[in-house]
Amino acid sequence: MSPCQNTIVLETRQVGRRIIKNGGVIRTVEGVSYSFFKAHIYNLVGPSGAGKSSFLRLLNRLDEPSEGEVLYFGKPLASYPPTQLRKKVSMLFQSPYLFPGKVRDNLLYCCGDKSPEEIESLLIRVGLSPDFADKDAEDISGGERQRVAIARALSLEPEVLLLDEPTASLDPSSSQTIERLVLKLADELCLTTIIVTHNPDQARRLGGETILLVKGRLIESGQTETILTTPETELGMKYINKELI
Amino acid sequence: MIETGYAQVLAAVLLAVLAIVLAKIKSIPVEKEIAFGTVRSFVQLVAVGYALEFIFSSRSFWLVMLSVGVMIMVGAHTAANRARHFRGGFIIAFVSMTAASLVTLGVMLALDIIRTEARYIIPLAGMIISNSMNASAVTFDRIGSDLKSNRLAVETALALGKTWRQASMRFYRDAVRAGMISILNFMKTVGIVALPGAMTGMILAGASPLEAVLIQVVVAYMLISAVTIASIIAGEMAVRRFFNAAEQFVAER
Repeated sequence: MSPCQNTIVLETRQVGRRIIKNGGVIRTVEGVSYSFFKAHIYNLVGPSGAGKSSFLRLLNRLDEPSEGEVLYFGKPLASYPPTQLRKKVSMLFQSPYLFPGKVRDNLLYCCGDKSPEEIESLLIRVGLSPDFADKDAEDISGGERQRVAIARALSLEPEVLLLDEPTASLDPSSSQTIERLVLKLADELCLTTIIVTHNPDQARRLGGETILLVKGRLIESGQTETILTTPETELGMKYINKELI
Repeated sequence: MIETGYAQVLAAVLLAVLAIVLAKIKSIPVEKEIAFGTVRSFVQLVAVGYALEFIFSSRSFWLVMLSVGVMIMVGAHTAANRARHFRGGFIIAFVSMTAASLVTLGVMLALDIIRTEARYIIPLAGMIISNSMNASAVTFDRIGSDLKSNRLAVETALALGKTWRQASMRFYRDAVRAGMISILNFMKTVGIVALPGAMTGMILAGASPLEAVLIQVVVAYMLISAVTIASIIAGEMAVRRFFNAAEQFVAER
């Protein structure tokens, strides 16, 4: 373990979120406390509606917690300007959105002063060839879109990468390419990576730690292999036995 | 010019009756609406006629302002019905329409194009308010539907550290432009596809076509200014309703 891995980057303290939908109150996240260390990979797993994506959105303040707090390097998220915070805690969505134009335009979207060499190195970093910069963002495959979206996020030199089911709409081969890329980036850039996945096998391949959420609550957490083979709770057993929908 | 009195209006009712007969023959179920509209438009316009006679003869500036205020309130209420995706549509429409009226009428008064008399202020305010009302309504509708249907684009920009203004800029611009489309098309085709109402009215009332054209040009410039002001203010204030101080997109999913 490198020294940088002892630093807590993000921490949630009894964080919860309630939303009002169709006149009723729904608790999407409830009392989740967890510490995320630098350069670690975390899998957020759980059945549909477990609050995985809702929890992820609280970590870069795309949504506000209704209770509890989230700390970034020990300070509440609210103490950072949201625009600065999100450059350091970058989030990618399930279906990446690329802005109209060339791939290059997307890579320049966050920092317009990047040199051609920097654009080239961003593309190489995510496993794409440098001439990819001239492709129309509309004309590339799902896996390539996801890699361009990752490169665009990397252009901000983030500390944390939040990935919301980045491989959900990809074929198995593209999914594994993204998984390898996530592992490589976490290692090379000391990136803290928190990835929502509905696929326990993917969590196993990514390793690191796994957090099981059910109905917004943290049920189990720890080393991925332990959580996915010998869970301590009944809900954990039900999850690995695919009894939770 | 033939004098138009109640006898001529009664004769013109024949045209409405013709419309009802045609609808009946073709089984288009609008006879009741035509009949109702015929009576309603007569009652409304005659009532307005009497009201204007009263306001014009009173020579009270405050009565003129009160009339304009009522027109803006009704217009704002109508425009607010199109603010389906956010709250506060009435206030926004009220502000945008009031600003459009004050600026354009103020400039025209300052440049001595019109005088502070009811016969200038009320008809021109009516045109400004109805056009600003349509512009605000279209802007509201467009901004709401575009932002909601492009949630992913907006949130991607926010997630990359952009401000709410940067994240929504292109949708704001499209919405403001949509609000102005009608007046822009009007400016392109005015006099070619149709003669505008103000000009037609003047010609029917016996004014020379050239005099009517000059007034119409002034009206067109006044309207493009009013609609631009109304659309920009409506767009600016409406787009803000979709975001909070923490740069979060708060539209319901």
